[in-house]
Amino acid sequence: MGNCFSDELGGRAAVGGTSASHNNPTNAPNDAVDHFLHSRGYHGLFSQIELSYSASDLRDRDLLSKSDPLLVAYAKGRDGMLEELGRTEVVLNSLNPTWITKHNITHQFEIVQTLVFRVYDVDTQFHNVEVKMLKLDEQQFLGEATGVLSEIVTKSNRSLTLDLVYREESSGSVRLRNHGKLTVHAEECINSKTTTEMDPFLVISKVVENGIPIPVCKTEVMKNELKPTWKPVYLNIQQVGSKDSPLVIECFNFNSNGKHDLIGKVQKSLADLEKLHSSEQGESLFLPTPVGHNYHNKVLKSQLFVEKYYESIQHTFLDYLAGGCALNFMAAIDFTASNGNPRLPDSLHYIDPSGRPNAYQRAIIEVGEVLQFYDADKRFPAWGFGARPIDGPVSHCFNLNGSSHHCEVEGIQGIMMAYTSALLNVSLAGPTLFGPVIGNAALIASQSLANGGRKYFVLLIITDGVVTDLQETKDALVKASDLPLSILIVGVGGADFKEMEILDADKGERLESSTGRVASRDIVQFVPLRDVQGGQISVVQALLAELPTQFLTYMRTRDIQPNP
Amino acid sequence: MTSISTYTLEIAVISGENLLENRKPVKKNAFVVIRTDSHSFFSTKMDTDGGSYPTWNEKLVVDLPMHAQFISLEVQCKTAAGNKTVGAARIPVSDFIGGYVPQSYLHFLSYRLRDSNGERNGIINISVRAKLPDYASCSSTGMGLPVAEKYFGGVVTGVPVWCTNPAQASGINDDG
Repeated sequence: MGNCFSDELGGRAAVGGTSASHNNPTNAPNDAVDHFLHSRGYHGLFSQIELSYSASDLRDRDLLSKSDPLLVAYAKGRDGMLEELGRTEVVLNSLNPTWITKHNITHQFEIVQTLVFRVYDVDTQFHNVEVKMLKLDEQQFLGEATGVLSEIVTKSNRSLTLDLVYREESSGSVRLRNHGKLTVHAEECINSKTTTEMDPFLVISKVVENGIPIPVCKTEVMKNELKPTWKPVYLNIQQVGSKDSPLVIECFNFNSNGKHDLIGKVQKSLADLEKLHSSEQGESLFLPTPVGHNYHNKVLKSQLFVEKYYESIQHTFLDYLAGGCALNFMAAIDFTASNGNPRLPDSLHYIDPSGRPNAYQRAIIEVGEVLQFYDADKRFPAWGFGARPIDGPVSHCFNLNGSSHHCEVEGIQGIMMAYTSALLNVSLAGPTLFGPVIGNAALIASQSLANGGRKYFVLLIITDGVVTDLQETKDALVKASDLPLSILIVGVGGADFKEMEILDADKGERLESSTGRVASRDIVQFVPLRDVQGGQISVVQALLAELPTQFLTYMRTRDIQPNP
Repeated sequence: MTSISTYTLEIAVISGENLLENRKPVKKNAFVVIRTDSHSFFSTKMDTDGGSYPTWNEKLVVDLPMHAQFISLEVQCKTAAGNKTVGAARIPVSDFIGGYVPQSYLHFLSYRLRDSNGERNGIINISVRAKLPDYASCSSTGMGLPVAEKYFGGVVTGVPVWCTNPAQASGINDDG
C-alpha cells in the first residue's frame, strides 16, 4: 500500500554538492583504472559517461501525497544477471522527478552494454534510512525500463526516453502496463581534480637550443593550498646558463599517480625574475590549450610572485687559494704491530730491495703528490704513531724525522726518507690510537689562527687497521671540527674498515664526543687505498672528493672572503 | 688584576635538528633559553613553522660571569599547556674560551640535547664569539687571559707535545 506522508528530512539533505559525496564519490571516474587501461593501449576505446535521470507521469501510490520515487540502475550481464550500478536519492512527493544523483559508467565501444532502470516508491518508514541500505522488495515498485548505453550516447541530444513498464497480475493473467516515462541523459566525463583542492609545486626548467625544456629544479609540494608560498630555491648561474637564459617555470598540481596536471606556466629569465621582485608585481600564468590543431596560450587569473631574490657570489676553492689562503699538509703513519714485521716480505712496511714501493710508500707518494701541489712551502710536519722509539715507551705521536724539537720534513722525499729511517729506529707496538695525532694537528691549526695566518690544514693518516679507541678519536675529531682542518684517512691492507666509515660523517650521523658535544662539520674523509688502485685520475678524484667542500664550508660559514 | 666581572658573549642560536616531543616530531613554536647563571636567562623568538628542524638564526648578546664554568641551553616548545622543555645541553665555557685560538674566534659549536629523562633528543647548533673587556686582551698573543682558579672546569686531554712551541703551554694541562 502507499504511505501517507513524505520524507521531509530526507528531502532536505544535500545531494551531490556535499563534501562527503565530493570526497567519497561512490561512482567517481577512477583515474587508477583509466591509467591502467591507457597503459594497456585502450586509448580512446572507452570513455567515462555520466548518466542523469528524470521521469514523468509516475504512478501515484500514496494516499495523501504523491510518490517518493527512487531510481536504481543495473547493468545487465551476458548471462542476464543484473548488477546494481547505483541508486539515486529519494525525491519527495513528485510524479515527475528529476534526480540529482548521477552514475558513472565506462562506455566501451566494442560491447553492447544493456542497462536496466527500476523506479520505486519509498515507504515513509524508510525515509531516514540511507538509500543504499534500503531493501527494494519492501518498497513499492513503480516500473522498469531497459536501454542500451550506446543508444543513449549516440543520440544527438544524448538523451533517451524509455517507457516504464510494470507487471500487473490480475486474475490469472499477466499484463504489462506502461505508466510513465524515464529519460536517461548521458554526458561524457572530464576527469579532472576539483578546483577546490590543489597540491601545487613548481618545476623550473631551462630551455635549450631546440626549444625543449630541461628541468633544473623543483619545489616541494604544498598540500591543499590555493595561495602557496614555497621554500626558497637556490640556483647556480651555471645550472641555467646565464642570467638572461630563458627559464620556464611550470606550476603543477600534484597527483599521487605521478600524472601531475599542469596548472599554468610562465617563461622568464633570472633577470626578468629580479625585475619582478623589485617591482613587486605578479606575472600571470598561461596555459597552452588546444584549439583545433594548434595551441593557444590561455592567460589565467593565477599569478606568480617573486618574494625574495638574492644574488651572491660563491667563491670557489681556487679563488681562495689564489687569494692567499694556503693549504698545509701534515702526515701521520701507522707503526702498529698489526702491519707485520717490517723485515718480512708480507709486512705492509716491508722495504723491497728491488725498489718496489710498499703500501705505505705508495700512499705517501700518490696522496702526497696531489696534496703537495697545493702546499706552497713544501715543509710538512710528519709523525708516526703506535710504536716504541729506541729507548722510550710507546708513543702515539712521535716525530718521523727522529728529532725531538721539530717535526717538519722537506717535500715528499723528506717524508719518504724519514719513513724508511724511522722503520729502522722504532719497534712496532700498539694500540692504534688516532686521538694524539689529531690533537697535535689541531694544536698546530689553532696556533696558526692565533698568529693570524690564513692557512688550512690537511692531516693525512695512513693506517692499516681499525682504530682501537673509537670514542677517543671521535672526541678529538669533534674538538677539531671547529678548526681549519681536514683529515684524510687512507686505509692500506686488507682489514675491514667499516668502523672507519663511521668517522666519515656523510656515511652516517654526526660525530658525538663523550661530553655531549657534536661535530659542527664533517672534517673526515676515508679512502681505502685498495679501492683506488690503478689510474692516477681515480686516486686523485677519490682523495680530493671532499676536501674542497670541507674547506669551503669552513670559509663560507665564517664569511671569510678569498681576498682579505 | 682587579676583578673583572663578566665576559660579553655573542651567541647566535642557529638551528635545531630532530627534536621530538612525546616521541613525535615537534610541530612548531620551538624556542631556546640560554642561562648564564642562576638568575639571568635570555630567550630567542619562537620558530613558528620549522617543526622538528627549527631555525632561529638569532644573535643574543649575553654577559657571562667570569667564574662561570657552564652555560646551559634549553630548547622549549610553546604548547597549549604552557612551555615544555624538549631538550637541554650544558656547554662548558672552556669550549669557547681559552685554548690556542684567538679570543675573538668565531666558534661554531653543536651539542647533543637530552630531554628530562636523560634521553637523547636532537642536536642544537650555535656559534659563539667571546669578547673580553678591553684591558684584559692586551696580553700579546691573545692568550693572556686572567687565569682564575679552576678556570678550565672540565677534563682536558693531555696531548704529549713533542714538536710544537712549548712556550704557550701554560694553563692548559689541568688538574688531573
